Amino acid sequence: MYLMGLQGGQYSPLSEDQVKTLHEASLQILEKTGITYELGIEDTVQMLENNGAVIDRDRKNITFPRKMIIEQVAKAPEEVILYGQDPKNDLHLTQSRVHMGTGGAAIKIIDSETGRIRPTTLKDLYDVSRLVDQLDNIHFLVKPCIATDIDVENYNVNWFYTCLSATSKHVMSGVNDIKGLNDVIEMASMIAGGLDKLQERPFISTIACFAISPLKLCTQSTLIMQEANRNHIPVALSSAPMAGSTSPLTMAGTLTQLHAEQLAGITICQLTKAGAPILYGGIPGMANLKTMGYSGGAVECGMMNAAIHQLSNHIKVPNYNSSGLSDSKLPDAQAGYEKALTSLLASMGGSNYIHHSAGMLESMLTIAHEQFVIDDEIIGNCCKVLKGIDCDAEHLALDVIDSVGPGGNFMTTPHTMTHMREEYYNGNGVTDRKSREKWEQEGSLDTRQRALAIAKKLLANPKPAYIPEEIDKAIRKKFNILL
Amino acid sequence: MTDFNEIKDSLVSLDDQRLLHLVNDALGKKIPASDILNKGLIAGIDIVGEKMENEDMFIPEVLMAAQIMAKGVEILKPLLGDDETSARGRVVIGTVKGDLHDIGKNLVAMMMESAGLAVHNLGVDIAPEEFVAQIKEKNANILCLSALLTTTMPMMKQTIDAVVESGLRDQVKIMIGGAPVTQVFADDIGADAFASDAGSAAKAAKILAN
Repeated sequence: MYLMGLQGGQYSPLSEDQVKTLHEASLQILEKTGITYELGIEDTVQMLENNGAVIDRDRKNITFPRKMIIEQVAKAPEEVILYGQDPKNDLHLTQSRVHMGTGGAAIKIIDSETGRIRPTTLKDLYDVSRLVDQLDNIHFLVKPCIATDIDVENYNVNWFYTCLSATSKHVMSGVNDIKGLNDVIEMASMIAGGLDKLQERPFISTIACFAISPLKLCTQSTLIMQEANRNHIPVALSSAPMAGSTSPLTMAGTLTQLHAEQLAGITICQLTKAGAPILYGGIPGMANLKTMGYSGGAVECGMMNAAIHQLSNHIKVPNYNSSGLSDSKLPDAQAGYEKALTSLLASMGGSNYIHHSAGMLESMLTIAHEQFVIDDEIIGNCCKVLKGIDCDAEHLALDVIDSVGPGGNFMTTPHTMTHMREEYYNGNGVTDRKSREKWEQEGSLDTRQRALAIAKKLLANPKPAYIPEEIDKAIRKKFNILL
Repeated sequence: MTDFNEIKDSLVSLDDQRLLHLVNDALGKKIPASDILNKGLIAGIDIVGEKMENEDMFIPEVLMAAQIMAKGVEILKPLLGDDETSARGRVVIGTVKGDLHDIGKNLVAMMMESAGLAVHNLGVDIAPEEFVAQIKEKNANILCLSALLTTTMPMMKQTIDAVVESGLRDQVKIMIGGAPVTQVFADDIGADAFASDAGSAAKAAKILAN
């Protein structure tokens, strides 16, 4: 069952008028309040001034005439294709076409053998990347965990190398600095057969957390973002305010501020290089007012992530956002309902590239093998909803009803044979629909145990060799690869 | 006034008008300023800290309480002796290099100030050598390090290592905190204490300072 890139948009938390109101309000924020910056991006600020922005250098404040924003945002591509090493995994991000995958930078994993929590390693990154490779409904790999067993200076190249050696799906990750990005581009170019080949089919992309909400440019990440633009490497413009702490408490206020941050970021990118492939990266979140931590599993996160796609769609830029986070510490019922709700809402909203939607627990801190399997099932169900109900003559089945006739049954009609593997979602095997007797015979396993067994089986499969041997040798000669 | 329940209560219920009225009233009755501070305001903010730990109060309410308390302290300050205002704990606090997050760290700083400690908040993206310089300059006895990003946690260890190399390790107790930080991590990198929220951070700092 092929459930990638289906058209969402069935759920629109904002009316068309509300979308316009919010968009106008965002333009007003940029025109009146503006954004601030710190030392180190004088060239970027100068570029903005040369193109119409008003700079107050004493207050380090930038305001943008609406005309400038509208002109620059119009230059951003309406479609961004994120490629896989294998073309069957190419993602066409446009309109309200939905893709869902992993995300995050977790530092803990629930060990699949001991059940205990421990720090994540490079080997864990490799293992979960292999799971993602084999789970059909997880459409892409955003590096889900940090390798805590390697030194910071080895992070970027090793992350990308590990992911690319384990999956042929698209690989995305943030990088620490410009050198990190350039190293990764160099390594990926070796795999692609040259920088031009990589730029033609970028099977890697990056994330730049360019905005520190509210309304402040992060120097380092803005520079990384612009470097990606210049290299024609797709970049997600991440900004992630939390309602109540780094954006207004209200959902509308949070969405409006976030949209303003995105408009400013897109403007910087398009001035840096017109037509640069970028993803609108607004990730609306909520502060837990009891702790000021992140409430990833809240249903309102699902609502706001659907709404933010409406805003990105309004300016015709494909978007990157979040769903499937849970505040639960283990793959339990809470994890199940929080993930199902936010993922269903974000996908029905039509978000183009929904990360965080597989594998994560404890907000963004922990991953677990079994959770990837369970989330693959949740994503599959979400995407099935997007497919909708076909009502053409074949699916209406009037002829079949007539031929079976009153009182008959449909079990063995050719029509049943034709459609039985397509009309309903079949699942990856984790969902139990057996009789109680059969279930007891098989050990009375709960969802988590069944998912662990599936993960174990997938990891026992032969390891892939996505990076050809001679290229692998060259990469290891050039970089300090620790896997 | 034989007890300070009303002052404590006005602080916990965020009633700034009533609190200021009660503080002035108490001064009028010749109650020592140091008693009003310690038995009224600080005792009240301790209750706020407990309520925060138990999640009975939202953080914005805690912040509001700290702001109201500061107004009360403002009235008392000219009337307090030097020894009463000189804090037992001298805290240097900052977010480690590479990390730009400051909300949680500022919350901790505010709660520590409310608990009567002298707090020097260095801000974000602070290099290890800057922490070392500030410990010397402020003669600090507590160092608090914050990190929100999983990628900047290693910088906490590098900062502690720099303090050890500088020879100042015996002078300061080191506390760490931030969303991804755990007690196990604190033990691993040689910190003296870990706190999971601002209320318990202030409490722990008071104990370490004594």
